[in-house]
Amino acid sequence: MFKFIKQYASTIENCQVYPMISLIIFFVFFVVLLWFVIKMDKKSVTHLSNIPLDKPEIESNH
Amino acid sequence: MQTEKFYYDNKTVRNFAYATILWGIVGMLAGLWVSLQLVFPSLNITQYGSFGRLRPLHTNAVIFAFVGNGIFMGVYYSLQRLCKARMYNDTLSKIHFWGWQLIIVFAAITLPLGITSGKEYAELEWPIDIAITLIWVVFGWNMFATIIKRREKHLYVAIWFYIATFVTVAVLHIVNSFELPVTLFKSYSWYAGVQDALVQWWYGHNAVAFFLTTPYLGMMYYFMPKAANRPVYSYRLSIIHFWALIFLYIWAGPHHLLYTALPNWAQSLGVVFSFMLIFPSWGGMINGLLTLRGAWDRVRDDVILKFMVVAVTAYGMATFEGPMLALKNVNAIAHFTDWIIAHVHIGALGWNGMLTFGIIYWLIPRIFSTTLFSKKLAHNHFWLATLGMIFYAVPMYWAGFTQSSMWKQFTESGQLKYSFLETVTYLKPFYAMRSFGGTLYLIGVVLMVYNIYKTVKSGKLVENEVAEAPPLVVEHKRQSGEHWHRWIERKPVYLMVLSLIVILIGGAIELIPTFLIKSNVPTISSVKPYTPLELQGRDIYIREGCYVCHSQMVRPFRSETERYGEYSKAGEFVYDHPFQWGSKRTGPDLAREGTGNLKKTDGWHFRHLREPSSMSEGSIMPAYSFMLEQNLDTSSTAAKIRAMQTMGVPYEKNFDRKANQLLMEQANKISKNLLSDSIRVSPRKEVIAIIAYLQRLGKDISKP
Repeated sequence: MFKFIKQYASTIENCQVYPMISLIIFFVFFVVLLWFVIKMDKKSVTHLSNIPLDKPEIESNH
Repeated sequence: MQTEKFYYDNKTVRNFAYATILWGIVGMLAGLWVSLQLVFPSLNITQYGSFGRLRPLHTNAVIFAFVGNGIFMGVYYSLQRLCKARMYNDTLSKIHFWGWQLIIVFAAITLPLGITSGKEYAELEWPIDIAITLIWVVFGWNMFATIIKRREKHLYVAIWFYIATFVTVAVLHIVNSFELPVTLFKSYSWYAGVQDALVQWWYGHNAVAFFLTTPYLGMMYYFMPKAANRPVYSYRLSIIHFWALIFLYIWAGPHHLLYTALPNWAQSLGVVFSFMLIFPSWGGMINGLLTLRGAWDRVRDDVILKFMVVAVTAYGMATFEGPMLALKNVNAIAHFTDWIIAHVHIGALGWNGMLTFGIIYWLIPRIFSTTLFSKKLAHNHFWLATLGMIFYAVPMYWAGFTQSSMWKQFTESGQLKYSFLETVTYLKPFYAMRSFGGTLYLIGVVLMVYNIYKTVKSGKLVENEVAEAPPLVVEHKRQSGEHWHRWIERKPVYLMVLSLIVILIGGAIELIPTFLIKSNVPTISSVKPYTPLELQGRDIYIREGCYVCHSQMVRPFRSETERYGEYSKAGEFVYDHPFQWGSKRTGPDLAREGTGNLKKTDGWHFRHLREPSSMSEGSIMPAYSFMLEQNLDTSSTAAKIRAMQTMGVPYEKNFDRKANQLLMEQANKISKNLLSDSIRVSPRKEVIAIIAYLQRLGKDISKP
């Protein structure tokens, strides 16, 4: 067990694409997240942000 | 729809609140004590009370006992209300509470005994590591089961933070705790050298992120709207805050290892992601502070809001400073100095401490169905805490910057201007001022204890608080046109899996290549495994927590290579289970202690360990005279060699059988050597082993 730690590969094949893949994952993730957050409807945002308050929902002013 | 009647469990919340306060005092007292030891070294009383053993006690107590119980207090209170459900199972709550306290007690016993794995903030030995895993699973089980039987359809953002906390801490703890047990109280890290360092700081940084930050952000998103009686400023921002924070944080660990032997690409990744962290962190801070928009007049009178505002502001300060410290040019100055101590205390005293106090003042009167005994006392606590924080941090910033400048200063003729010792003695007044700040902070907590005691006396615990809510109609299917994120919010398990994937990306990209690609840790043929005596000496070094004050990592700066010698290379540490690079230089670096102009005689080391100030006037190092009395335990030598062999250290076959014989031969040599320096000491004493280890440091790559 754990002998793998000592067994090195000299290289990982096509390693140069890794940074590009990471950047794309990162970029796409945040663009999609931003898009959906902006598109969220106001009513549900108000409902969600009032969950802790335990009282009739008030309109948040933003 | 007909509503259901159910009861919130307040008893567990109260227990965690009490534990938070109790361990807070213990942790802070330990902190105050070790800070005084730096001013008055004679306070290092017996081996059990020496700085190297008590400092881990302080950090572990504050992080895992004070903040840990604070997390559970906040989660158990808010989760029930956010889910409109009682905690899933009272027995699990009980096991969680008492199990966690038991772990803390074991930590408090084993650390002063010198039972430690030698990895910062993960010092506890393997049986306790297993216990932590089990209790953490109990916590997760109880939490998830509560979420699943909830009566509120959507998961409020605080719950996401709790889920991310649970899953990430589990991953961090398990990966960093891979260790090979040798005896019941001794294990070696599976990883060695650079790899151990990367895993350790990936863990260390994310312990800050996912133990000290994300659960407290969840608590901020619940308790701040509660205390201000208005919803969070922007729920949309909180969604971005959450995903961005957990995505970025996990990459940031290597910023603890800038200019070290860690491969450069990993350092660069650490820098870039640490810098980007400023955006979600400040997004979160702004979201917290703007929750008070239109209610700032209340902050003047409401002490709970005061605590919370200072907490969130401290969070903002620390998360601005963190990315700055992660820049290589700033890190070159700040690393290894008291600047970092100041930075983490803005986080601990400010963010964690103040938010905890705010929540305790808010929550205790509610669950005891009464009002706070004295607002005035709470105000006094607030001011003592704020002043204490300032008196703590300012001298430490000053000390850090000063010491770093002194380390780097050269005379006109090109020589180092100050000896290391001069830079230490210069700092003593700053250390004293810091202790004063800590004392103020602690006095504030004592006021809180009295205030809470009187409050509790005036009320009665509502053990089972009645509540009503309509049952949840289960909708498994995603409705057409429904927002994907709203759908995710209903699915705690999906949310957990998604969080897990998000945090694994960064960890995997940094860790796997460092382990798998040979060129990342170039081997050095002259680097050989430790002799049995040196190995035993190294374990004493670990036991005494020498790494708390001494680094073993010469960075490639002229000011360091002049002072210590050749800069450190990755290949030097391949047999170091665990690595001992350290993170703070209260004393000098020891990576080249056995070589060059740093080389001292065995006799010097002997006298220095017996009474440090006899060799270095004004030294604040504890005396290790007990090593002159205690015999080295050689019964474990063979097992230790075998453990090393299992992990791939190339000792020859059957080396374990002759290890003790070789050990005695080397010990006899050192003992004879000391005799020629008119020191008579048995070769069986511990001091011989530690001298052997110190004399070995740096030798492998120095020219003969």
